[in-house]
Amino acid sequence: MISEARGARRYAVVSGKGGVGKTVLTANLAAALAASGKRTLVVDADLGLANLDIILGVNPRHTLMDVVRGTASASEVIMPTSGGFDLLPAGSGLVEGTMLTPSLAGTLEALLGSLDANYDLIFFDAGAGIGEVVLYFARLAHEILLVVTPEPTSIMDAYATIKIMARLYQKTEFGLIVNLGNPTHPAQTGSAVARHLQQVISKFLSAGGQATIRLNLIGSVPRDSAVPQAISRQQLLVQTDSHSPFTRSIYQLAAALADKKLSVAP
Amino acid sequence: MKRKERMARKLSNPKQLKGPAAKEDSLSVDEKGLDLTAALRILRHAGRPDPTQLMNDCGIPLQAIIDALCDLSVHDGLTGLVNATFFHAALSREIGRSARTGRTCCLMVIDADHFKRVNDTYGHHAGDYVLQTLAQTLKQSLRSMDTAARIGGEEFAVILPECTPEDALIAGTRIHALLNPLIVRIGDETLRLTTSVGLVWADPQDPADSKTLVSQADQEMYRAKRSGRGRLCHPPLKTTQISPEERAALASGNLEENSNDQ
Repeated sequence: MISEARGARRYAVVSGKGGVGKTVLTANLAAALAASGKRTLVVDADLGLANLDIILGVNPRHTLMDVVRGTASASEVIMPTSGGFDLLPAGSGLVEGTMLTPSLAGTLEALLGSLDANYDLIFFDAGAGIGEVVLYFARLAHEILLVVTPEPTSIMDAYATIKIMARLYQKTEFGLIVNLGNPTHPAQTGSAVARHLQQVISKFLSAGGQATIRLNLIGSVPRDSAVPQAISRQQLLVQTDSHSPFTRSIYQLAAALADKKLSVAP
Repeated sequence: MKRKERMARKLSNPKQLKGPAAKEDSLSVDEKGLDLTAALRILRHAGRPDPTQLMNDCGIPLQAIIDALCDLSVHDGLTGLVNATFFHAALSREIGRSARTGRTCCLMVIDADHFKRVNDTYGHHAGDYVLQTLAQTLKQSLRSMDTAARIGGEEFAVILPECTPEDALIAGTRIHALLNPLIVRIGDETLRLTTSVGLVWADPQDPADSKTLVSQADQEMYRAKRSGRGRLCHPPLKTTQISPEERAALASGNLEENSNDQ
């Protein structure tokens, strides 16, 4: 069990499906939280490093794997970013298929434990799919943030992710972030997606005496043409355009997370 | 004719049925006059319960012999699980069924870690006891439709028919937890053993043959061994493999239209 006392609150950002904008959303969310004074760390546990690299314009010399191997210290690996949050790049050493041996897992957990006091929030950007690495980080997190779009394939993969995590790790609460929603009324898309997923979950996963699984819609983010433009300029939209619909929704999301009590059990 | 008379004479004098010599002789025929000597010898040599215990006034019930031989041809004598021959036939059948129904068939391969050490250190009886304990644990944790088999020395397999990869992973995780550690008492000593598990599934759209599927499961199991033993390894889940009913329910919502409406 993860200790709650004064430690950072850990979120595993997962999506099931790739291409739902998870990494861009995480980076912008972390920047918004940092701007509101939260000490925020993003652990890039994904091949998406290449994306974050472009988005943030960073060029990591060391990765988490160097800490595991003992060739670098945590402070050498963690790098400040232009977004105001810190980044811990896992590097290609933690791609799916990596064997999370007990010794590797032990080193990772000790490392994260030592970082707990330095941050208010830690995000694991855990990659697409539901492989071993994603499941591992989900287990380490206090809360799972599931990024989903209204696309049917994204909904199905999100559902499969919930099913696995509920059955394997007895997770019964999932935070839902609906991305690429209606440009003018994202909240409508968000509540429609959340309601639909919750219905199917209640029918198939919570039926017949099984633990009730609850989805909490944390926020809805609209499709916004300014987002790809910002990516191509290597900028975080929350920093360059404080009035865009995307930025507004990210700040609402950040406020919802920042307001969360830190005493919720994992 | 002669034989019948001899049988009749024997049966008329029950005392003659007692004693080893009389028993051996009387075993050779049943109530229909069939010669069962070879069948009984095979059962006796295989260490099976002696069907002559079931002998009644009409001789040995033929059904008991047939049952015992069927049991022998299907089951592994040490563990009581089905044997490798039956397993491969069952797996082929289930892969065929999976291709027809579109429901995934999953396969788990389970291998006791450092089993040779147990044999070398504590003797073969201890090793046998470990295998029996492992088999018992497997048997108790399966659905009635699942098939557990002993397919090699210390290698076991479980067929999970009509099971999504997600459900198989859930079952696999549970079984893996039950077997790690596997606690076996040998005399005064308590052994804490680990087992490595490989889990794979047959794609109903592109079914592999049973040999290929077993070799894929073996590869996952060896990956578990290489990474420190006592682990469960499986290929990455394709998240789209959920049950047809769940898929239909998920697809019923028309959410994109909602979001495109501007």
